[in-house]
Amino acid sequence: MKFRIRMREWKKGILNKSHVSFRETVQLSLRGFRVWWRENPRLLLSVLICGVVSALTPYADIWLLARLIDEVAVGRDPHTLTVYVLALMGTSAIFSLLCAGLTRWKNVQLSCLWHTQNKVFLEKLLSMEFADIDDRHVQELRSRIWQNTDSGGWGLYKLIYSFDAIVRSVMSIISASLLTASLFILPVAADRGWLTILNHPVFILLIIAVMSGVTFAAPLLSVKASSYWVKYADENQLGNRLFGFWLGDLGNDSSKALDVRIYRQDILSRNNLKKYNPFTPASKLARASRGAMGGYQALSGAVSQIFAGVAYIFVCLKALGGAFGLGSIVQYVSAVLALSDGLSRLIEAFGDLRNNTSFLRTVFEFLDMPDKMGQGDMAVGQYSGKGYEIEFRNVSFKYPGQENYALRNVSVIFHAEQRMAVVGMNGSGKTTFIKLLCRLYDPTEGQILLNGIDIRNYNYYEYMQLFSVVFQDFKLLSFGLGQNVACSMNVDSDKADQCLRAAGFVIRPDRLPHGLSTPLYKNFDEKGIDISGGEAQKIALARALYKDAPFIILDEPTAALDPVAEFEVYDKMNDMTGRKTAVFISHRLSSCRFCQDIVVFHEGRLIQRGSHDALVSDRPGMYYRLWSAQAQYYEAKS
Amino acid sequence: MPVFSKMPAGKHMKQKPAYSPGQNIVYMVSLAWEQRRSVIWLALTMAVVAILLSLTQLFVVPSVLGVVETDASAAELTAIILLFTGVLILLSAARSYFASCSQFGRIEVRLIIGSMIQNKALTMSYPDTLDQNVRKKMDKASMLVTSNSAATEAIWTTLVNLLKNLVAFIVFLSLLAALNPFIIIAVLVTVIVSFSVSNYLNGWGYRHRDEEAEYSRRMNYLSERSGDYTLAKDVRIFGMQGWIEDVYNSMLRLYRSFVARGERVYVWGNIIDAILAFMRNGIVCLFLIGSVLKGQMSAAQFVLYFNTVNLFTSGINGIMTDLATLRKQSLDICTVREFLDYPETFKIEQGIPIAPNLNIPYQIELQDVSFRYPEAEKNTLSHVSLTIRPGEKLAIVGLNGAGKTTLIKLICGFLDPTEGKVLLNNIDIRTYNRRDYYQLFSAVFQDFSVPDVTIAENIAQTDENINRSLMERCISQAGLTEKIRQLPGGVKTHTGKVFEDGINLSGGELQRLMLARALYKNAPIIVLDEPTSALDPIAESEIYSKYSELTDGRTAVYISHRLASTRFCDRIILIAGGRIDEEGTHDELLAHKGHYADLFKIQSRYYREGGAR
Repeated sequence: MKFRIRMREWKKGILNKSHVSFRETVQLSLRGFRVWWRENPRLLLSVLICGVVSALTPYADIWLLARLIDEVAVGRDPHTLTVYVLALMGTSAIFSLLCAGLTRWKNVQLSCLWHTQNKVFLEKLLSMEFADIDDRHVQELRSRIWQNTDSGGWGLYKLIYSFDAIVRSVMSIISASLLTASLFILPVAADRGWLTILNHPVFILLIIAVMSGVTFAAPLLSVKASSYWVKYADENQLGNRLFGFWLGDLGNDSSKALDVRIYRQDILSRNNLKKYNPFTPASKLARASRGAMGGYQALSGAVSQIFAGVAYIFVCLKALGGAFGLGSIVQYVSAVLALSDGLSRLIEAFGDLRNNTSFLRTVFEFLDMPDKMGQGDMAVGQYSGKGYEIEFRNVSFKYPGQENYALRNVSVIFHAEQRMAVVGMNGSGKTTFIKLLCRLYDPTEGQILLNGIDIRNYNYYEYMQLFSVVFQDFKLLSFGLGQNVACSMNVDSDKADQCLRAAGFVIRPDRLPHGLSTPLYKNFDEKGIDISGGEAQKIALARALYKDAPFIILDEPTAALDPVAEFEVYDKMNDMTGRKTAVFISHRLSSCRFCQDIVVFHEGRLIQRGSHDALVSDRPGMYYRLWSAQAQYYEAKS
Repeated sequence: MPVFSKMPAGKHMKQKPAYSPGQNIVYMVSLAWEQRRSVIWLALTMAVVAILLSLTQLFVVPSVLGVVETDASAAELTAIILLFTGVLILLSAARSYFASCSQFGRIEVRLIIGSMIQNKALTMSYPDTLDQNVRKKMDKASMLVTSNSAATEAIWTTLVNLLKNLVAFIVFLSLLAALNPFIIIAVLVTVIVSFSVSNYLNGWGYRHRDEEAEYSRRMNYLSERSGDYTLAKDVRIFGMQGWIEDVYNSMLRLYRSFVARGERVYVWGNIIDAILAFMRNGIVCLFLIGSVLKGQMSAAQFVLYFNTVNLFTSGINGIMTDLATLRKQSLDICTVREFLDYPETFKIEQGIPIAPNLNIPYQIELQDVSFRYPEAEKNTLSHVSLTIRPGEKLAIVGLNGAGKTTLIKLICGFLDPTEGKVLLNNIDIRTYNRRDYYQLFSAVFQDFSVPDVTIAENIAQTDENINRSLMERCISQAGLTEKIRQLPGGVKTHTGKVFEDGINLSGGELQRLMLARALYKNAPIIVLDEPTSALDPIAESEIYSKYSELTDGRTAVYISHRLASTRFCDRIILIAGGRIDEEGTHDELLAHKGHYADLFKIQSRYYREGGAR
């Protein structure tokens, strides 16, 4: 089971300090909203409607309560009082019912937010070019997106919450302004001496200026305080990764349990945790929290109270001046405070959007990666009777970001219905050769031709139809056995059954309680069965057979099998591959013996080609060295 | 944490939890008292500040209204407001300040619990790590230290809130005592009824938490897989995109309708709450209006009582919420403690201490050993007797699943025999301190644990006093010198992903690193379980030819399913059918013409002339 340990969810994520313009903020945020709209329009609608209604709720109460207090203070008419009380109670009940219903609806939509966001990334990952998946830059991009969204919801996820905050604060500002407006308009009675100064427009402007100043100061101070998190972000993220590793992965992985005990990794772990811990009260960040950072935090808490003080004095003095009654004091004070709060939240929401922009930039850089696979448009077509012929013409290849060539100047033709073996030492280029053949990468130099035409001209998906591959590090998914063979939710059971048998997989009812629909492994469905490496390899082989492609490529197909099982697989290889073109990669040379054609790779070059007998008689050759390294154990000592 | 997933809090337990909430509070407080006292002082300070703040806020409006009502002077009014403002400024500043700096101590205490859990996980008796029940306990316990909202950290917030709400409750109660006691009862009854109903309904999520966890586990599985580099090849070759997306979308639909089901239940809680609130507020308001009309109450008092009733209501609600949270968090802490308390199967501290010594001959003897995995129907090994003599080079061969690795686990003391004994120099290994016993072995197993530390630390398995020359020698013996020379940081380069400069080694390089690590440990007994499976034939053959040099006169056990690769060993045992089937040198076994000879024939078929088709 995999999980992460987080010391602290980031308030500000990994802040990218580069400049973000207002224009870019708006553009990228709108783009983000469009992504959500496309995935599920109800998401934005529910947030909007729910936000509007719930933001209005308190203001109805404030207004009615003020009228009630006015009546208590002055009129005290029993009938009017009763009406106000009932109105107050009634509106609150109606609003709370309405809000409850809407919130429930919104919750349903929001519950899928995380998984919907993952779906956007999942679709991109599944469809992007393979070379990009492997690319270091793309991997960094992905890990940044993941860390950002996981630690503070930054990126697409954040947008929904910013939207919610904007809707609410805007509604709140509008309603509070309506309730506040008369505060500034209602005059102090002319006979109240110096209090009439409160009527003067300049004074009113001054008050508004002071209040807005204070309103803006609070979020600024808060941002200043959290900038300390950004300052120590690298250190903290390293801390999070370290703790995630030592406290998480190490103990949870039962396959590591033997090594851990033999090599006392518990001690290593304890020492490492002590060495880097950015979260103790003695750390830099904690010291800042007691010093400057704490100071800013305290100031931002205090500032809103200063605002309240100014508001109280202004409102009460006007009331004292006879501008309005007691009830209105309650109304104005509440409304002014709410207005200030609404403004602060709006500023904060915009601040968040702005901070979020650099994260969105990363998200869209990833989502916008060109999909080169769609380019070719030629159909592969059927050459009746002739089959397919593939040619590597002076192909060289470097992995992205690597200095050395993994393949150098390889030229080879292989014909239909042949069996070819590819051999060589580790790192000699065997698997790279296969990856190029399957168009997982494009050659850096040279061309690969299918029936004389560069494979890049063919439609990618059509070209892929030609190959069935069992990679050395193949993966099965934890869904039903049949689905794994068919690679689809629709399974042709007879065919799947046939292929499994052909691959040597024994379908025992006691092992597979639900036959082909028995799930594999337990990490998706707990009813799944655990399978051995050998069984997995056979299923992967069945999957390749089910696809029934003209080329079948097997990369170390028997690595997980014991000698007897290995023998069986090779024994049946002819039946299995039928009239298909077959390519085997192996460093067990025994598997080459039944191939007519063997190519030997060394340091990225194709250095030998021929039949086993021809190659093995070339004593100084690489093939002979490889062969004898293994055969020495088997040669009968006679 | 932006993930919606609520961790299944506590357990679905019929039996009583091992510790009461009170005991768990004592446990947490005494842990903090020992480790970081400031956590407790800060929590108390925060509770006091919160109480003062809510009282001051309660009195602001009524006091000010009272002053205006009595038509006092502007100076007096301003003075009162300034006084209140001053107090509020101080208290708010204090609240923000303490909120910001209190978290570090709390994180530290949580991480201390995390290290305790991890230490237990890394050192507990090996058979327990295979036990699904223990693993579940461990998984749950480790989830409970993963975030700021986990019980091991969040309990401090709950305790502060509870303290604050309890004190406030008493204050509000004494304020309201001046009014009709009927009002207090009406408030108490409506709040408690409404809370209990909502609490019951909200329990729907808890009662269905397994279902929810299932959905999110499945979708997370798919999300993780979609970015898997090795799977990506298969996805493209076999066109799996549509398949994976179909499964994901169907999960998403199921999950949404699951959530909708829950929300339709929860909404009834809101409806009942709204009705009861309507009644409660109606009673209170009508009573207050009555007092006003009788002339017993001023407008300022009306506002004071109106607000007090509201705060009283939310205070009771708060207390009940806090208690419910505390109960859940206490269950979580029980889960953690139950794992930490889990008894050891092996003798560890109580065992006899033992230290590896290269000058002592170590003989290991299996006396009529049988082993059966728990809940298995058959013995994996039956009545195996085997003596490994000091300095002997023993090979264990056999087909997959024959029990080779189980045999090794018995020898190394990871498993205890179901029947029979394992003896070290004629003493049952069960009497030794098991942690010490492991120090007798240098091993390369099939599964590795390669922590994200430097190459040097990986070889030495320690971060201090690394013997440079020994390390260099081991690196060269394992054939890694060239590779390490190419690394920008040399042996100081990190492996894995934690550090920025971390590198990923290939399967073959990793296997060589593991070999170097085993050599560096320099223990009296060497165990190698298929140590060359990821190497190419030439590299493999090199290792074999150096085998004697590598093992250097020490006892060595070598496991392989490639029969012939063990010819350089003094003695080969073939495991089949859960027992030692055949035993002898390679030539003896071939001459015997038994199973070994048959298997050898199959394997060598393609290598010998005439074997080709």
